[in-house]
Amino acid sequence: MAKKILVVDDSKTALMMEREILEKRTTYQCVTAADGQEAVEKAQQEHPDLVLMDVVMPRMNGFEACKMMRQQPSTREIPIVLVTTRGEESYMEAGFQSGCNDYITKPVNGAELVALVQSYLGE
Amino acid sequence: MNDSKNASGQKVSGTDPMNDLRLGAARKRLAESRNQDDAIEGLREIIANFLGSEEIGLFRVDRGTGTLPVFWSFGIDPEKYDLLRALGEAGLRRVMRGECHVDLAGGDRSGAMTKVQAFVPIRFANQTIAILAILRLLPQKLAFDRHDMELFKLLSDEAAQPLFGSNVDSKLATEGPGMRA
Repeated sequence: MAKKILVVDDSKTALMMEREILEKRTTYQCVTAADGQEAVEKAQQEHPDLVLMDVVMPRMNGFEACKMMRQQPSTREIPIVLVTTRGEESYMEAGFQSGCNDYITKPVNGAELVALVQSYLGE
Repeated sequence: MNDSKNASGQKVSGTDPMNDLRLGAARKRLAESRNQDDAIEGLREIIANFLGSEEIGLFRVDRGTGTLPVFWSFGIDPEKYDLLRALGEAGLRRVMRGECHVDLAGGDRSGAMTKVQAFVPIRFANQTIAILAILRLLPQKLAFDRHDMELFKLLSDEAAQPLFGSNVDSKLATEGPGMRA
């Protein structure tokens, strides 16, 4: 069975791009969410193998969603990679404090994204 | 091996599958825009996610008055910076003819001023109907590359219709020649 990635972003463009890369360049299956709250719900329903999540989003941002997933027994162990335009050290530190496993910045390099995801899920 | 030309007319050898996916996503996002606001949001998303800038100005060509009023902006106040002046008359003429004007040397990291990194003509029916100005790059984006030039070309060729829709034809009919920065 294909491994599943939950891709979360309020930008339709980013979702489209990340999904295209992951589904066309790997064997993973993607499900999507448009904000942090939906991501927390989808993570509980879909049990993804990895979450790839934007930070700045309406309703619930990526840091808050990451913290919530870490508090839920069913999502506590899922690797979470945050994706954002903000690359400052302090911002990345806040990401790690929220419980994420990794952090990549936009604009996303497709090859780097695939390599990073494969480092968690295998090829 | 496929050859293509980038926005500066330089030959680009071969294709990069990741870049093709990026171009495909940008094209799809623009084409699927539901209305002008959604197209503008799509343009902002493409520039932020694929080109690495969150400072954007879009100027509409008004041939009737020979001016380029601000149509939309994000992250900056275009009036404040008088962005098009940076192009100069010769640069403006080139952009109006359809050439992208891109600073390939990389971003201004001083943070003290807003420096334009790219001017992209938005074209319809062989005419420039708007100019897109992309300003400071995100800190992690060091400079535009050849793949970015292909995305500029796509925006130049395909953004007019989603952005300006049915107004494009009627506007062109009422616009005369002449333009100033």
